Amino acid sequence: MTTTLSRRPPSGDRLPAGQRPNAALDLLALPGVGRFLRWRHSRLMLQLPLLAVSVVMVAHAFWGPDLAPKNLAALLTWVHFRGLVVLALLCAGNLFCMACPFLLPRELARRLIAPRWEWPRWLRGKWLSLALFVAVLFTYELFDLWSDPWWTGVLIVAYFAAALLVDALFRRASFCKHVCPVGQFNFLGSTLSPLEVAVRDHQVCHTCSTKDCIVGRRAEAPQALDRQRPAGEAQLPIIQRGCELGLFQPRKVGNLDCTFCLDCVYACPHDNVGLLARLPAEELVAAGSRSGLGVVERRADLSAWMIVFTFAALLNAFAMISPVYALEQAIAEWTGLTVEWPILAALFAVTLLIEPALLLAAAAYTTRWLSGTGESLLAIVQRFARSLVPIGFGIWLAHYGFHFFTGLWTVIPVTQHTVWRTTGRELLGAPQWHLGGLPESVVFPLEMGFLGLGLLGSWLVAWGISRQLAAERTLGGWAPWAALHLAIFAAAVWILTQPMDMRGTFLGG
Amino acid sequence: MAMSGVSRWLILGCLVLLVACRPATSDVPGAQVDLTWDPAPPAVGQAQLLLRLRDAAGQPLAGGKVRLEGNMNHAGMKPSFGELNEVEPGSYAGTLEFTMGGDWFVLVTATFPDGTSLERKVDVAGVKAR
Repeated sequence: MTTTLSRRPPSGDRLPAGQRPNAALDLLALPGVGRFLRWRHSRLMLQLPLLAVSVVMVAHAFWGPDLAPKNLAALLTWVHFRGLVVLALLCAGNLFCMACPFLLPRELARRLIAPRWEWPRWLRGKWLSLALFVAVLFTYELFDLWSDPWWTGVLIVAYFAAALLVDALFRRASFCKHVCPVGQFNFLGSTLSPLEVAVRDHQVCHTCSTKDCIVGRRAEAPQALDRQRPAGEAQLPIIQRGCELGLFQPRKVGNLDCTFCLDCVYACPHDNVGLLARLPAEELVAAGSRSGLGVVERRADLSAWMIVFTFAALLNAFAMISPVYALEQAIAEWTGLTVEWPILAALFAVTLLIEPALLLAAAAYTTRWLSGTGESLLAIVQRFARSLVPIGFGIWLAHYGFHFFTGLWTVIPVTQHTVWRTTGRELLGAPQWHLGGLPESVVFPLEMGFLGLGLLGSWLVAWGISRQLAAERTLGGWAPWAALHLAIFAAAVWILTQPMDMRGTFLGG
Repeated sequence: MAMSGVSRWLILGCLVLLVACRPATSDVPGAQVDLTWDPAPPAVGQAQLLLRLRDAAGQPLAGGKVRLEGNMNHAGMKPSFGELNEVEPGSYAGTLEFTMGGDWFVLVTATFPDGTSLERKVDVAGVKAR
């Protein structure tokens, strides 16, 4: 595909804002990277290496050493993958979904059998993915997945199987849109990304009659074949998919639900979709309906995801320091429990349900009082839930960034060790076990920087939302949420300044 | 069905690979490994340790060259290494640095003058964070 930027109307600067051609930096217009991404098979080229790495990880999980620090499945999943995902979201966009290896088997399966069903209506939305997200976090803590290569391998295989099964049976990107918890995590994180798949010039869309970006393109029917088919049947093979997540480019706002697959880029006959630079987090303030999503602030499932995303960031970080073990031990002694799961379940319930409910209700109540709005508490919570995403993402960044940066080079000796164990020879040299990562003295300021950016982002988003709610009393509407963000920030700083204490044995097993 | 030449070479190659993949071991059968720490339980920093090695009959395994490798039970941490000195027959002393609080394990590797060797994993749960 060649770029046709010259097709933009030259008089765009006279049009009202929102109608003008987007003048932001377009990655697809850049030499090199732009040419590669415009190539139809670029996604496959990104997916294949990740699939190869996944195969190696699965093999190592089941047949490699059962010691997590020497196993590529445990190391790459819990140290490098998580860190790279959040850093890519911060620096570029939803690159993991773009290069997602889980979708390759389903692509293969769809060449053999076409999915027949629509995703069940009662399962649509984000509730299922939210439940799976909490389940994965719970399992991670309960079974100490970080220290168990075998179960990590099972998790990876289960992920491949789930993606294959769902998308082999159900049409479009059902797995990505309704099931995948990693995908939803990435969608929320990508609201903070500096890149967005967006229309270059809305005027071009106004004149478009085919809407290929959403419906895709089918092959031309040979006349003979056309005569054989009943009227109205349009089952010709798709030669280019449109957006399988139901995002219609002209009405798409931001990165939510966008996997960066670039199908819309390839489908658009006017070459009018780009990968454009934008202001991170701005979309969190945007009001109104969005294609494929509706009105975000009225969707309880999305609001719940945003709340859990933020408080789970605190919980996941809290679980790696000493006080959590002291707390669990105290609960065990107080209740007489000798098994961990009920205690962990209670911690999850308090952290992801009770604590957010109390804090958000208090913030919403105070906002209603100070701003004079007549909205219900629930409506105010749903409005301001978006403002939690930046501080939540800041905590995930700080936490996963810590593991990634402090363990950055450990992949080298583990790979060398793997090659030695597999071949019996040191083909990559003797394992350089002295290689670790960046010192904590360097990583700590980075963590604080991520948290600070998150706090600033949350404050700015809350300000924008408060202005929409009560333009005359913006400060009053904003202050309670700013205080909540500050409290979350302070909790995160406290957690990250505690010495790390990774244990799985607090009840002696 | 007669096996083709290519198949024979493939099977031979797989067998060679299988043999090559298996690290050579000459373990001391039934060996007892007893590791004690000071402080107990160990805390972040240098910890003194005493390792007692006995064979199946309870006789000290003396004259060994003993090496320790300490790892956290989660990935992404640099391991700690320690060489131990024999302080009396079958008893070896030395230090190991714990760089973080949490659950650790120690890989004990010993080679003895008669060519036998020993490798054991010893869990060190709950290293105290400072």
